[in-house]
Amino acid sequence: MALNILIVDDSETVRAIIAKALSLAQIPVGELHNASNGEEGLQVLRDEWIDLVFSDINMPVMGGVEMIERMGEDDLLKRTPVIVVSTEGSATRIEQLKQKGVSAYIRKPFTPEAIREVVDGILGAGNGDGDGS
Amino acid sequence: MEMETDPKSVASEVFRDVLENLAFMFADEAQADDLPEAPAEARRADMQFTGVMAGALALAVPSEMCLEIAANMLGVDPDDDRAMEKAQDALKELLNITCGHVLTQLAGEEPVFDLSVPQVASVTAEQWDAFARDAQTSAFLIDDIEPALLKLVLDKADS
Repeated sequence: MALNILIVDDSETVRAIIAKALSLAQIPVGELHNASNGEEGLQVLRDEWIDLVFSDINMPVMGGVEMIERMGEDDLLKRTPVIVVSTEGSATRIEQLKQKGVSAYIRKPFTPEAIREVVDGILGAGNGDGDGS
Repeated sequence: MEMETDPKSVASEVFRDVLENLAFMFADEAQADDLPEAPAEARRADMQFTGVMAGALALAVPSEMCLEIAANMLGVDPDDDRAMEKAQDALKELLNITCGHVLTQLAGEEPVFDLSVPQVASVTAEQWDAFARDAQTSAFLIDDIEPALLKLVLDKADS
């Protein structure tokens, strides 16, 4: 089933690369939504049904960590899987993100295969299978 | 984590790796005197970081190179509108990714850093020449043709 995906990154280039990687990885995409910061991302999440979120950490206005924290405070949004795509490589930061409910972490630069592997892992865990459960 | 080399060398090596993996372009280190004349139009991206180390990283390339970087990152032709629209953004992202990997190489995988959002500005020929002559700057030739300049500045530790 096609996934409705939200990409949150202040870089248009990265958003385009993730979208292309999703295509190359043959991940079935229904609607693809974009946001340039966490605040815009939350608005999309409130307005649209989203199965899976790809989010950067460092963004102006509202960063990815705050967006994920806000999602965690929302009974509906806290169940939406989030994959963080970031340049940071700190194991401490990654562990902090996982404690906040982040499903997976991909470090830039990435390959379509890395995207595929992570999405498969989430789908295999029964999250983001597009049935709205 | 013990470093086997100096921060400037680490930054240079990381930049070459990131450029190759992200934009499929190859950079060789060069002496400032070996670079072609300062480009008529150039862009410089700057960002800062704080944490167990604080400092800044800057990257300058000819404006046309921004187009090529964007095109390669997106897998489109440099004349494609998408590359033109994202030229500056691609330079920012190249710097951002380089910075993240430099910090991991220098400080290991435990420390958490706060990174600023990269900013891009135009560079005059005079500013380019001064940047190239800076002792903290590493110079490169990308694909044997285009120049690039990378500067890492480390401040004192803030913790």
